[in-house]
Amino acid sequence: MARVHNWQLGREMSYWYPESRPNKQFAAVFDTNKCIACQTCTLACKTTWTSGVGQEYMLWNNVETKPYGFYPLAWDLKLLEMLDGQKWSEKEYEGQKLHTYEGQTIFESAPAGERVLGWRPEDIDYAYPNVGEDDCAGQVDGGASFSLQHMAQHMAWFYYLARICNHCTYPACLAACPRGSIYKRPEDGIVLVDQGRCRGYQECVKGCPYKKVFFNAMTGTSEKCIACFPKIEQGIQPQCFENCIGKIRLAGFINTPDKAQADNPIDYLVHIRKVALPLFPQLGLEPNVYYIPPIHVPHSFTKQMFGPGVDDAVKTYRNAPNDPDLQGLLALFGSSEQMMTRWRRQGDFVSGMRDDGSEAVRVPIKEPVHVRQPYDRLYQITRTNCP
Amino acid sequence: MNNTIRLFIALALFSLTVSGCRSTVATTTEVVAIQLNAVPTAPNDAAWDEVPEHPAKLLLQDLVEPRLMKASTAEVRVRAITNGNEVAFRLEWDDKSKDDLPGPARFMDACAVQVPAKLEANVPDPQMGGQGKTVEITYWRADWQAAVDGRPDSLKEIYPNASIDGYPFEAKSLEKGSAAQTEMATRYAPARALGNRRVGPREAPVEDLIADGPGSLSPAPPAGSKAKGVKSDNGWSVVITRKLPNGLAPGARTQVAFAVWEGAQQETGARKMRTGWVPLLMKGAETK
Repeated sequence: MARVHNWQLGREMSYWYPESRPNKQFAAVFDTNKCIACQTCTLACKTTWTSGVGQEYMLWNNVETKPYGFYPLAWDLKLLEMLDGQKWSEKEYEGQKLHTYEGQTIFESAPAGERVLGWRPEDIDYAYPNVGEDDCAGQVDGGASFSLQHMAQHMAWFYYLARICNHCTYPACLAACPRGSIYKRPEDGIVLVDQGRCRGYQECVKGCPYKKVFFNAMTGTSEKCIACFPKIEQGIQPQCFENCIGKIRLAGFINTPDKAQADNPIDYLVHIRKVALPLFPQLGLEPNVYYIPPIHVPHSFTKQMFGPGVDDAVKTYRNAPNDPDLQGLLALFGSSEQMMTRWRRQGDFVSGMRDDGSEAVRVPIKEPVHVRQPYDRLYQITRTNCP
Repeated sequence: MNNTIRLFIALALFSLTVSGCRSTVATTTEVVAIQLNAVPTAPNDAAWDEVPEHPAKLLLQDLVEPRLMKASTAEVRVRAITNGNEVAFRLEWDDKSKDDLPGPARFMDACAVQVPAKLEANVPDPQMGGQGKTVEITYWRADWQAAVDGRPDSLKEIYPNASIDGYPFEAKSLEKGSAAQTEMATRYAPARALGNRRVGPREAPVEDLIADGPGSLSPAPPAGSKAKGVKSDNGWSVVITRKLPNGLAPGARTQVAFAVWEGAQQETGARKMRTGWVPLLMKGAETK
């Protein structure tokens, strides 16, 4: 195994291949606080890519309710049980908190004979994509109702976790494939299974901790999310981004922290404001979908899922109403189908720009509010506003 | 040890070997291909009864990751017949379970025959050959056999209770069997669009491949290989027929290697039981 640098772990780690970062890395930020689990993203993906024979069970994009929702069943719990906990150390450097992962990644804890520590779901594990939907942690009884964290006496909570392939910098699927059928595109870092070369060994299915590679029994090959690369090549965001009615998603490209650009929306949220965090960074893949963690969930849970930056991320996010730049950038989510690789705020407006610097969209940070009177004088009719 | 004791031990070992076999067929320390006018294609053809058997011990593939760490099939029993143009190998091994339904975390019973692509003194690595040292592999799989034997290539065969709303290629606007319908079906099956041989329909349960080392397995131009596999309660009996290895004439020798995958043990790809090189003698008509 080679030694590579994983900035999400704050250290070097072992990986099957030497470090080879793409020229650009596709990345995304999902705001979990805005997701309503309408599954429009899931359906947008399904109808676009996985409507074929043998793809029936596949959800390249899915939304599950945490803590009890999983697709496939217990995908995260099974691996967390196999890994020996997670230990992070923290130190201060020039006023910044630096976290280092002290535990083992799935590459470092690969058993003898394996390239990656993994497990393989069976077909029954994919049979309940809606398991645990809207089930909350804790009990809601004795007249109690669903409540937020500040009502500490009722610790009932849940949140929605939308998931696609993380197009990892160190993909476990790619490391696990014994015949090099999986590759990472140098132009945008998108991870693809070569459908001409794959022989359906399902080593990638076993290796991917996020379980985002799926075996197609009717073609005999494994298939996965392609980040809608034909759209990205035309400067358009993927289907699950464009169709998200909750406007929770923003696609772009991420730099490494040492090259972070403040006018790159993903860099700004991930590196500069540190409000968006990777999913299970301790596994060691350097995943490239970043999540703004749910603000109402106990941090003991979200720290395990998004790493040690959760406290600060939630604090920063909660302060967004007093933070025009952050509030402005969040307003850019879902404002255009185009890829906005740069952004700027001017007063009460925020603009998203294309690669060439031209403006793709300009939106107000706060939408004007219109209060409609019950009686419409023009049409002489009374309308009732639903509460 | 004097010669009398040596002879005694040899006789005792011989009687043990014979009593351990299912029939009284002679066993050989190499694979001896007997020459007949025609090569039998069925595993139960009476012609096989007259052919000596080589019991090949199987080893774990534990040289390259992913390795097989737990041994499964112990032995493959091999017989061979040639007609001077083709050679047929009959591979038999013990296997209680029939694994021929593909799906997530489901793997197929399979076997393969490997020969060096060139007849030369310096043989390739028995583990899939090496750079510039190509090996030819003929690979048989149980689910392909089921398909060739008539099992429909349909999801309902795997999941009889599956309920499917519809597929885009079944849209009313697409004429059945039209080019437009095929195009729509192919759009959602990229492996098919790229001509990947994993995708059916298939005419033979076997595939011709070449390799230049682990991880380099690639399709070979179709060489007309055939196979027929039959499962009994005890195990598989598979006849793989391929053209004679390059430059191999009756009376000549080369090397052959075998591999067996036990689907129930999740064996696939590099996770397999295999042999090293075994000498292969092609008997000529005159040497019969």
